[in-house]
Amino acid sequence: MGPPAFLQAIENTGFSTWLRESESPFAFYFILLFHTFGLALLVGANAVVDLRLLGVARTIPLAPLKRLFRIMWIGFAMNAVTGILLVFAYPTKALTNPDFYVKLTLIGLAIWVMQKLSRQVFENSGLSEADMMARGATLAKFSIFLWFGAITAGRLLAYTYKYLTFPS
Amino acid sequence: MNFAHLHLLLNHFPIIGTMVGLGLFLISLGGKNGDLRRASLIIFPAMSLLAILTFFSGTGAQGAIKKLPGVSEALIERHQGAAMLALLFMEITGALSLVGLWKSQQKSPLARWNWSLSAVLLFSMVTVGLMARVGTTGGDIRHPEIGSGQEAVTEGTMMSKMVHAFEPSPARVAELMTASKWWWALMMDMHFVGLVLLIGTVGILDLRMLGFAKQIPIGALHRLLPWAMAGFGINLVTGVMAFMGMDQYYAYDWAFWLKMLAIMLLGLNVAAFYLTDAFDSVEHLGPGEDAPPLAKFIAATSLFLWFAVITLGRYIQSFSDTIAVHK
Repeated sequence: MGPPAFLQAIENTGFSTWLRESESPFAFYFILLFHTFGLALLVGANAVVDLRLLGVARTIPLAPLKRLFRIMWIGFAMNAVTGILLVFAYPTKALTNPDFYVKLTLIGLAIWVMQKLSRQVFENSGLSEADMMARGATLAKFSIFLWFGAITAGRLLAYTYKYLTFPS
Repeated sequence: MNFAHLHLLLNHFPIIGTMVGLGLFLISLGGKNGDLRRASLIIFPAMSLLAILTFFSGTGAQGAIKKLPGVSEALIERHQGAAMLALLFMEITGALSLVGLWKSQQKSPLARWNWSLSAVLLFSMVTVGLMARVGTTGGDIRHPEIGSGQEAVTEGTMMSKMVHAFEPSPARVAELMTASKWWWALMMDMHFVGLVLLIGTVGILDLRMLGFAKQIPIGALHRLLPWAMAGFGINLVTGVMAFMGMDQYYAYDWAFWLKMLAIMLLGLNVAAFYLTDAFDSVEHLGPGEDAPPLAKFIAATSLFLWFAVITLGRYIQSFSDTIAVHK
């Protein structure tokens, strides 16, 4: 049993073909580039918040780090858009690889943790720094672990796929 | 100009630079001169960056001359193995120097002696010796008037034979790096993890200097510096290992070389930040205080260059073999 036929239908569209086969530097690699920018913004900002909650650089006041969540959301939005485009370029490659679903699950969990951090730790202005750290420490550990997993699962997509394109 | 020119231009810096660095360091021991010690602790990391560039340019230089009459591949290999060993010690010396700078910055300029300074002394002395050997073996390749010819691979002094026993075979290193796709995947994975650590920590410092989240005092953000250095260190190690694994793939790639140029410019950017008034002008800025124009300029340049590094890194794959060589 081969991959489902709709994957071939997506691959055969002009846009998918262009993304995949164009020699233009503004096609596939451009999208991949912005997927990396998004990663840097999202996980870079989240990692700084996590490290601070775990006691690194304690002289940084916690409350203003709330501003970093906006950067995280911008990064997430970039990666949702570029991620969909990347799947559009190679639907069979992504959707037939179990690792792809592992990656999506880890990202989903990491975003859920990020939202909990935002709500429970940063949006409650009555909390003292010690309270914020006490509430956030466990979430921060999960966050680091989940993002590390998501990056690893994402990198492994390049090494674990069964089909690059729909088998003819 | 080809890679042979570039290699000959660059190769004197790590050899002579480490000697000068060690000299200043030794003098600072006798005279208790804090400035001299600081200078040497800045020279070593600078040389460890240049040494990487020199090492990379060697691959192209090899491509440019290996087909010439009278050029021995065995001599090139010996030189490359010597360079790998020297590079290892050079990078360790550079990293230890940064630890030493970090520690002495936290205390008084003439901080008490600590383990990192002893380690710098030891590793820089070994590095100077190994660099001399890299220079000698490199000279043997193309300067018959000073070399002893091809026999030198197996002959030589007691000392050079002993050192040679520790020098890796470049082909064996390349094989090790590329033998397993999972090892390669792990290196690339760690390269991304390093990227995130580096961009996260440096990015927020740069953004704060540019006026973002002004409630944060800038000095506090500086405490993240060891994490930025850890990210950079991870990427330096995984990046150099990847190059050693597939040097022919990277060495003739415009995106790769422009990425290296951007990293060298970032080295200057960091130097400009810490060695001009910029650092002192922002270190004590509290909540709500604005950074002066010079610091802002340096921060903006840093952000631009780091995103350029990511961009060029991403395009390495599509720019392979864009630099012509007579292979």
